[in-house]
Amino acid sequence: MDFDWTADDIEYRAALRRFLRDALGPDWKGYKGLAPTEYKAAAGAFCRRMAERGYLTQSWPREYGGGDASAWRAAILSEEVGSPDGEPRGSQYMNVNWIGPAIMRFGTPEQKAYFLPKISAGDITFSQGFSEPDAGSDLASLRTRAVRDGDDYVVNGEKIWTSHTAIAEWLFLLVRTDPGEKRSKGISVLLTPMDTPGLTINKVAGFVGESAFSNPVFTDMRVPAANRLGPENGGWAVVRYALAFERIGVAHYRHAENQLNALARDANVRGLMDDPAVQAKLGEAWEAVEAARLLYFRVVDLRAHDSPPTADSNVARVAGTRAYQIVAEAADLVLAEHGLGGVGRSRFNLTAGITSGATEIQLDQIATRFLDLPRPAVGARD
Amino acid sequence: MDLTPTTQQQQIVDAVRTLLERHGAAARAKALLATDGYDHDLDARLDEAGFTDIATGEETGPVEAALVTLEIAKAAGMSAYAAGELVAPKLLGANPKIPVALTRAPADFPIRLGRHAKLILIDAGEEAELLEVAAGDVEPVDTDQVGWPMGRLAPGALARAKGLGPGSGAILRRWWRLALALETVGTMQGALDLTVGYVKTREQFGRPIGEFQTLQHRLSELVVIVEGARWLALEAAFRDADPLNAATAAGRAAGAASLVARECHQMHGAIGLTREYPLHLWTTRLGPLAVELGGPSAHRREAARLRFSPEEIGVREAYWR
Repeated sequence: MDFDWTADDIEYRAALRRFLRDALGPDWKGYKGLAPTEYKAAAGAFCRRMAERGYLTQSWPREYGGGDASAWRAAILSEEVGSPDGEPRGSQYMNVNWIGPAIMRFGTPEQKAYFLPKISAGDITFSQGFSEPDAGSDLASLRTRAVRDGDDYVVNGEKIWTSHTAIAEWLFLLVRTDPGEKRSKGISVLLTPMDTPGLTINKVAGFVGESAFSNPVFTDMRVPAANRLGPENGGWAVVRYALAFERIGVAHYRHAENQLNALARDANVRGLMDDPAVQAKLGEAWEAVEAARLLYFRVVDLRAHDSPPTADSNVARVAGTRAYQIVAEAADLVLAEHGLGGVGRSRFNLTAGITSGATEIQLDQIATRFLDLPRPAVGARD
Repeated sequence: MDLTPTTQQQQIVDAVRTLLERHGAAARAKALLATDGYDHDLDARLDEAGFTDIATGEETGPVEAALVTLEIAKAAGMSAYAAGELVAPKLLGANPKIPVALTRAPADFPIRLGRHAKLILIDAGEEAELLEVAAGDVEPVDTDQVGWPMGRLAPGALARAKGLGPGSGAILRRWWRLALALETVGTMQGALDLTVGYVKTREQFGRPIGEFQTLQHRLSELVVIVEGARWLALEAAFRDADPLNAATAAGRAAGAASLVARECHQMHGAIGLTREYPLHLWTTRLGPLAVELGGPSAHRREAARLRFSPEEIGVREAYWR
């Protein structure tokens, strides 16, 4: 066991910081207030600079233009771009972290040739069409229907909670191609252009952070069968593969730590650091952040050793969520000094347990895969 | 960065597991409870097998000793190994290979393992003090619901303790926190393992109770807490009980101990409350571990003082872009 970074990794991190400072400026405060097109342009420009320096797809295999970087380098990059002000890559982190790898694994030669260079260059934006009004945590029950008609699929149905639709050119869309097959066995993935006739977008106003959700509706939308990623009715394997990358793709513990640092500065400035309750809560939050960091690192370590995905990633994800929540409790103690001025500064508290797999689903996975408990009579079955 | 145990580390873990299993550590600990006894034979076996000098070995160090400590606690071994191997050498130069107990001045409360200690290290603030226990120094304390043999210093005994020099108090406290974190994590793991095994076999309503999601989620939450605490303790060992790492690990472990004990009992129902069933071996040790050296609040306040002092925040701030 070695908890120290190698000299090479330390140098890599230092160079990455210099790059980020140059590319974003020392006072980068996120893309707040930008119109969608401006936001897209700014995130795209940043991704292109990352691409020029080899950072954007550093973790991809060389045969796809990547840098074959270690899992640890990917973890360092996640930490360094994790800013309390936002994700400078915008939604493109998804492209690199899991859409690209899913296309490498399941794509046709034509799909690889079309999509991978665009992702590598920072020239493409995806939205993620997973959830439906009646299929959230129970994703395998999704009902958006795709019927084969000649060289096309005809798609009818709807998605919800879809982000980035205002700027995306493509939708990573999960559809049901076999209604007779129960649940996960009849699902396929369609890579769908956002300007396809029959696709309309309804806005859903959200109140947390800046996310605007969308409700894409499909009415006799025709998608070429050549756009299907992976086998017909074999989409669930694609999703599982993709989400194994997604779970620790964001360094949640680092966001939480950044918030905690800000709280501690407030506590110092306001003389609260002598308050035993504040001290104990800040210490407890720090523990939770550090525990989450090490549990994420454990997953990175398994990947670095080429171990197959395990439920350690679910353990890490829950630890990350709990870290946010304890930081939010600390915020209640410290920000009480601000009165209502502090409200809204711990926004991850509400979203942490919901995004990229609800906590309850993670706990199901830990029970059945980590503890080897029997699958519950009621609960997640896939 | 590499969190996978080396071949040597894995061999050490395997070897100590085999030793504890052959020794029947948990069964012996249960038998010893009747007399508030101590497992001297276990200490002798650990010594014979070479586990008592690994924290200061040429090719081994605190991480290896930490792995052994976790295994002993998980197996409910009734031993003062952690204090002897991880704490005492930092103040005395070597593992004294006799039972060591740890306490704080004025030491007017029961001391965990105090009844059997031959050496007692005392946190007296700036200095640590050493008491070589003589006949009559320690009075046994009745410990009906506590899984550790306890003892109290007799009046006047503390006066015979000798100081170990300026700064020795801080050394004692950080290594003590590390040892405490490891013992607590290993003990929580033992209770959790027993409970997971129990819910897989105990049937009610026509199915194993481990099939009920209400228990599954609670067990999964315990996994998240215990796994995190274990990695914090191992990192603290790797960093030679760095004060911040040690306080962080101790706070996380101590803060979880009551929850783990309570949940494991709740999931066992009444059988867990019997002397016959072994769950109490672990759970009745967790209470004293949770409150030692000031308990979770003290560890957390120490971590916060170290991590969020104005100087430290300033340093970290400049570190960020």
